[in-house]
Amino acid sequence: MIFMEDKHLLMFDNVSYAYDEENADELAVRDVSFTVDRGEFVVILGHNGSGKSTVAKLSNSIFLPSSGKVFVDGMDTADEKSEFRIRERVGVVFQNPDNQIVASIVEEDVAFGPENLGIEPKEIRKRVDNALKAVGMYDYRLHETHRLSGGQKQRVAIAGMIAMQPECIVFDEPTAMLDPQGRREVMNTARELNKNNNMAIVFITHFMEEAVMADKVIVIDNGRLLACGTPEEIFSQKEMLVSCGLDVPDMVKLANELRENGVPLRKGILCEDELVKEYLSILNS
Amino acid sequence: MIKDITIGQFFPGDSYIHKLDPRAKIIITFVFIVALFLCKNYFSLGLLFFISIAAIVVSKISLRVILKGLKMIVVLVVFTGVLQILYNDEGTVLWKPFQQLDFAVTSGGIISSVFIIIRIVSLILFSSLLTYTTSPTMLTDAIERLLSPLKLFKINVSSLAMMMTIALRFIPTLIEEIDIIMSAQKARGADLETGTLVQRAKALVPVFIPLIVNSFRRAYELAFAMECRCYTGDNKRTRMKEMKLALRDYLAFAFVAVTVAAVIATGFFDISSFFIFERVI
Repeated sequence: MIFMEDKHLLMFDNVSYAYDEENADELAVRDVSFTVDRGEFVVILGHNGSGKSTVAKLSNSIFLPSSGKVFVDGMDTADEKSEFRIRERVGVVFQNPDNQIVASIVEEDVAFGPENLGIEPKEIRKRVDNALKAVGMYDYRLHETHRLSGGQKQRVAIAGMIAMQPECIVFDEPTAMLDPQGRREVMNTARELNKNNNMAIVFITHFMEEAVMADKVIVIDNGRLLACGTPEEIFSQKEMLVSCGLDVPDMVKLANELRENGVPLRKGILCEDELVKEYLSILNS
Repeated sequence: MIKDITIGQFFPGDSYIHKLDPRAKIIITFVFIVALFLCKNYFSLGLLFFISIAAIVVSKISLRVILKGLKMIVVLVVFTGVLQILYNDEGTVLWKPFQQLDFAVTSGGIISSVFIIIRIVSLILFSSLLTYTTSPTMLTDAIERLLSPLKLFKINVSSLAMMMTIALRFIPTLIEEIDIIMSAQKARGADLETGTLVQRAKALVPVFIPLIVNSFRRAYELAFAMECRCYTGDNKRTRMKEMKLALRDYLAFAFVAVTVAAVIATGFFDISSFFIFERVI
């Protein structure tokens, strides 16, 4: 049992979930506990079928835990009365952008959430414009959604969440169906939201590179929480990652191999920039 | 090829017609269609045809789009035109190709054929303008508001409108998906283009089954996404775009009212354009 502190926005407390209630032994999520602080950037890593998408749906009361509790800002997700307020605070962006866009025109889709909340038309307009600017899609506000690229569609879906002004956005493998360009767009948007708007981000993915900029990395395998720590801590446990079908990012691998071959690189190098800088400084000295 | 469908598409813009209240546009379109079927002579038909063309010019929709839309109905137009010539035997006989058959091309046939063709073309031109200049969401919003008296009969109008919005939104997505599935089946050797009609219909089964299965998956995911965005299906939703009838809407109403009056009035006087045309021919 962890105690909820004020800084915790989202808390999973011994959560288990079974898709099939009659067959309760087959748990998609097993005794998972973790917290997400306000303004924190958390990446959840896991292989296909590890149960990480179930975690996304548990976080805003779409699924209710079979056992254990999920709290959002102190509210229990199993409490029907707070369902609305929970979904206002925690938004989820799903994998397939085509299946979460409701309207045919960009700005009308972004307005869908605030309209459901019963907000005044003028305020909706303001929120929609701001949300579209935040994801860099303002110039496309009158475009048809089906003509956009995958990355743009996903950014519209994100704007749809921002317009509801949540404190946390859970991204459920938002880049899995995108090309490298689209992946970059979505990653940058998530990072900027975290930095500029101080929004808590939970980013669920199986791409190692995307875990590099997290404050906290959680590894899930077979429904269980395997590890939780800073990216440096997680990526130093190569065996653990390989055992659950994951791998360390390419740059970490390269740094490790350089180190094994006698280049005195410091530990904890995660991305290309850091590696280049470190390597240049060694060359120069 | 499938992607070329323009009927039902929306082309954003800021013309007078784009700015009209969608409710006004729906009512006007409806009234215009009624007027088209009320008009009985070339004078009133010409007036309505001219108004359709003028409306298109005002809307600033490109000619290319309009022609593309008309291309879809060429077969229908030709078919009705030919039928009129075949079945109308009024007026003077112009051409009797088969002496033994009771069939002739008559002046009356040609006149009514041209009449019907202009009527259908005006109908398509004017009514497609409704969807060209109104976004699907605004359109369904307007329908929702126009149908709101049905709430008295416990019909959930807002759910109906939401269904329409989603249906319109998914048409292009599903068209794209059909293209992909067809290519996938062709790549596996499926023959979709040759054979008798029955054979071709049967060949489409492996296209439509994955499409339907996928649609259910999409619906499932979309339902989650809508729940995440606090959709509950009740009537407490607000709208970003408010609908208020403005001066331009009343102007449009007045204009259409005058037009309809003109159509009805000329019907009473029965300016027999038939005779005029007969003499020309």
